[in-house]
Amino acid sequence: MSKLKRRRRELRAAGLLTAPFLFVFTVFFLYPTYKVIALSFTDAPLIGEGQWIGFANYAKLLNDRLFFTSLWNNLYFVLLTVVPTTVIALLIALAVSKLKGRMQALVLTLFFLPYVLPVSVVTLIWAWMLDFQFGILQPLIAAVTGKPVPVFRNPYWVMPMIAVVTIWWTNGFNVLLLIAGLRNIPQDLYEAASLDGATPWQRFWRVTWPLLWPVTALVLTLQLILQLKLFDQVYLLSNGGPFNSSYVVLMQMYREAFQLNNGGYASAIAMVLFLVIVIVSVLQFQILRIGGRK
Amino acid sequence: MKATGVHLKAVKKSFGAVDVIRGVDMDVERGHFAVFVGPSGCGKSTLLRMIAGLEETSDGEIFIGDRDVTHEDPADRGVAMVFQSYALYPHLSVYENMAFSLRLAKRPKAEIDDKVREAAGILQLADHLEKKPAQLSGGQRQRVAIGRAIVRAPDVFLFDEPLSNLDAELRVQMRLELARLHQKLGATMIYVTHDQVEAMTLADTIFVLQGGHVQQSGAPLDLYDDPSNRFVAGFIGSPSMNFFSASVDDHTGDGIDVRLSGQPDMTLNLPVSKPPTKGASIVLGMRPEHLVVTKGEGLRVTVDVAEELGGVSYQHGTLESGDPVIFQQAGVRHGMHGTVQTVMPEPGRVFVFDIDGERIR
Repeated sequence: MSKLKRRRRELRAAGLLTAPFLFVFTVFFLYPTYKVIALSFTDAPLIGEGQWIGFANYAKLLNDRLFFTSLWNNLYFVLLTVVPTTVIALLIALAVSKLKGRMQALVLTLFFLPYVLPVSVVTLIWAWMLDFQFGILQPLIAAVTGKPVPVFRNPYWVMPMIAVVTIWWTNGFNVLLLIAGLRNIPQDLYEAASLDGATPWQRFWRVTWPLLWPVTALVLTLQLILQLKLFDQVYLLSNGGPFNSSYVVLMQMYREAFQLNNGGYASAIAMVLFLVIVIVSVLQFQILRIGGRK
Repeated sequence: MKATGVHLKAVKKSFGAVDVIRGVDMDVERGHFAVFVGPSGCGKSTLLRMIAGLEETSDGEIFIGDRDVTHEDPADRGVAMVFQSYALYPHLSVYENMAFSLRLAKRPKAEIDDKVREAAGILQLADHLEKKPAQLSGGQRQRVAIGRAIVRAPDVFLFDEPLSNLDAELRVQMRLELARLHQKLGATMIYVTHDQVEAMTLADTIFVLQGGHVQQSGAPLDLYDDPSNRFVAGFIGSPSMNFFSASVDDHTGDGIDVRLSGQPDMTLNLPVSKPPTKGASIVLGMRPEHLVVTKGEGLRVTVDVAEELGGVSYQHGTLESGDPVIFQQAGVRHGMHGTVQTVMPEPGRVFVFDIDGERIR
């Protein structure tokens, strides 16, 4: 009797504690997700009901050249950011972890500061710095290429430059993760390694690198997912141009949904991007795990 | 300079304004098992790490063999160290952990294999070579750490409290294995511990450290029989020595008559070659195992707790002055709890210290 009573009381407490989350999750995530999936099989506008048209949106997508251009630009951007940002973050983390006490906290704060800024501020800062006429970075570009370059209006420069801005903006977080990983490696492993005759280089490759690998893999995967969702920086810096050379999947979705009023088609684009992200990140994580085990 | 062993000359270490090691001289002969023992914070681990090269030496010189290694890199000193945490590489197998130093030195594969398997044989690890450290028990991890030291065939083995993470039973077993290993390898070993039982059982030479100084060094039984100050007397021996305050009553031909404070009806006559002045306060030290229950006159002890261990029992109590006393009895079931017993020290087994703790002989 009392056992039954206690069980009921526990269930009531469990229900009470999870209810707020379940409510929010259902209303603001589960239901919209269901709606997007349902919407992608209709010809509905952004607001209002549409006709069921089966896989017609997906079939259309497969023949949409702009979609493949966007997808390609997404992958190019991933190539430009994911590995470079991880390498840079690792170098910074290694350097910062050599510092001590307050100095370390100060330098870490400096590297983390850009991450705190909203994307509009970040893009504004960089748009000024890279301004064709007045940008303070133009002399640097001129020194390398011989003449100033309007970077966000040049099809070759636009993606790499957005990548630079993105790396500058988000790197602090990766540094933080890697520093936490480095701090988890016990100091006496390095002492044992130096007694075993390891040079600093060998200590890095044989102790730091393998023990940091789980964190590095995490950073790589998080970055991959994040960078595939690229939208704000492109929208604010180049608006997809020039000649669609910085057009990305989420931009196309945005345009179809909010400018051309094609809710159904936009939902189909969102679904495909979702699948791409799931497949690529699962694939990457598996590959990284195998790499780590070796 | 002696050709072998480890020799320290006026070695000092300070962290900023704090002096941790304040001038240590010591000689550890080749093939000897030396133990640094002392309470926590006495600098014993720091001294070991200085010999290993993991801490800089602020002043003085460290010789290993006839080489001055004071400012050499750890790897060039010919020492191997076993850490308290074992410091095994968690991502490498037992085999690779032991092979690590040889791989770095780019030794031929066959040689690495020979050495690792030989060490694994000595340490009974042959069945575990493919496992990761996380799959091993504490004692096995400890053996891997020792194995990693053995394959390097160093001149000197350094152990930093290697047994303190093991449970009591395993600690006794590993202590024996270490003693056997030392006999088998015949290498110089320096061992740090705060456990005086480990020190007594393993050491050829014990160095008792406190406050950054070597308080006394010597063979374990020499320290037990003839401590040079109150600290060493209290530290060596288990349970530790009883200390009673007393005063000098009179000078006799070859010694002094002393009176215990709180029990003025009894005097002890102790042989001392340099007697303190009459009336001076002194401290008497008597080991629990040297206090014998007697029917005649002696120290009256009110026993309040009896620890009966089977073979021996320890009777805890207080003197009339309030000083705590422990005395040891062979056998059990004395039923002394709550009684007043009279004990006398065995003749010649009373140590006299001045009020600052220095021995008066």
